[in-house]
Amino acid sequence: MTAKLMADFTIEGPLRSIPLPFLNDIFGEENACIAESVVTQWIVMIVLAVVFFILGRNLKVKPESKRQAAAEWIVEFFNGNVETSMGTYYKKNYAPYIGALFCFCILSCLMGLFGLRNPTADVSVTGTWAIITFFLVLWTKIRTGGFKGYMKSFVEPLPFMLPFNIIGDFANPISQAMRLFGNNLSGMVIGGLIYFALGSFAIAVPAVLSLYFDLFSAVIQSYIFCTLTMSYVAMADMSEE
Amino acid sequence: MGMTLMEAGATLQLVNINPSTIIFTLINTLIILLLYRFLLHKPVMKILDARKEKINSEMKAAEDAQAQAEAVKAEYDAKLKESKEEAAQIVSNAVKRAGERENQIIAEAQQEAADLKKKAEESIELEKKKAINEIKDQISDIVIMASEKVCEKEISKADNEALIDKFIAEVGNE
Repeated sequence: MTAKLMADFTIEGPLRSIPLPFLNDIFGEENACIAESVVTQWIVMIVLAVVFFILGRNLKVKPESKRQAAAEWIVEFFNGNVETSMGTYYKKNYAPYIGALFCFCILSCLMGLFGLRNPTADVSVTGTWAIITFFLVLWTKIRTGGFKGYMKSFVEPLPFMLPFNIIGDFANPISQAMRLFGNNLSGMVIGGLIYFALGSFAIAVPAVLSLYFDLFSAVIQSYIFCTLTMSYVAMADMSEE
Repeated sequence: MGMTLMEAGATLQLVNINPSTIIFTLINTLIILLLYRFLLHKPVMKILDARKEKINSEMKAAEDAQAQAEAVKAEYDAKLKESKEEAAQIVSNAVKRAGERENQIIAEAQQEAADLKKKAEESIELEKKKAINEIKDQISDIVIMASEKVCEKEISKADNEALIDKFIAEVGNE
């Protein structure tokens, strides 16, 4: 299905970059492929590997380089954010995940600037991260409350809340995924529309809009996504602090 | 749904839950997590911890050094006070000894002067006596000569001497 937005304007889903025919029987013919979103992720991964490697090597106790200052700032930024949102207990284990997720997310969004397909405009990608959040929440509930406590949490504060609590457990990650996906896809759609509408006059105006949709929105949405992940996990903590 | 073109270059649906994308994204996210953790997070945390430790140990060393310096200062102050007292003691002792010595010297000088005076007086007395005796002898000779002349006769020596002694005594009394 391609969304027909105007007579001649179409916006399409990600390319099926590399078909994987051996998965045809399991995922169905259409989905048995490596999608464009995944290929862009690989580029992001290469970029991040290089950046992390350059930032993280040759660190000195007495800082000498701006590179080290940047590396320390990044790590401290995520440590600080995780500590304030989730508490000291989670800092050690969640700071790397949130840091990695944020870097991955923000760089994926920025890939749109280079004409690549933004992986976060694919609901399968944002959905994957939401699935991770769902399992982190589940694990945190069971870890802090025990299996019994987890079961009990569905009938609290009142038994009739049971359906809402069950919905809530799924709604949070789904809404989280949809927020990121929707924002980035809409940015892509609006960008495409602007180019289409301006035709051969597409100078300057798309750049300004791209600054908002690709850069500003990317940073904000990535930040929100990470913040939501942190707060969902922190809220799931049933241990009395 | 309804997409049937399977060749590369075809596109997926715009809103499409794709299990292979989910699996690859999961793997990629895990790899990014490992990359972040081991290339950036761990080295930075190691450095931050090392720095924290270094700062702590340096602060402790500085505190120790300060405590030590204060102890040394207190010791020096005590020593200084002690030596000042000692110096004052020495000075007062010296003053006291000098005073004693002064008195002693004066006493000795006075003694010496007294001795000299006494000796001088003694010698004067002796000279005086000697002179008197000489004079006595001369006078007695003169008197004998004069009385011989006056009397023109010899008188016995005993009478003579008795006379002379009497005369001398009279002269001496005058």
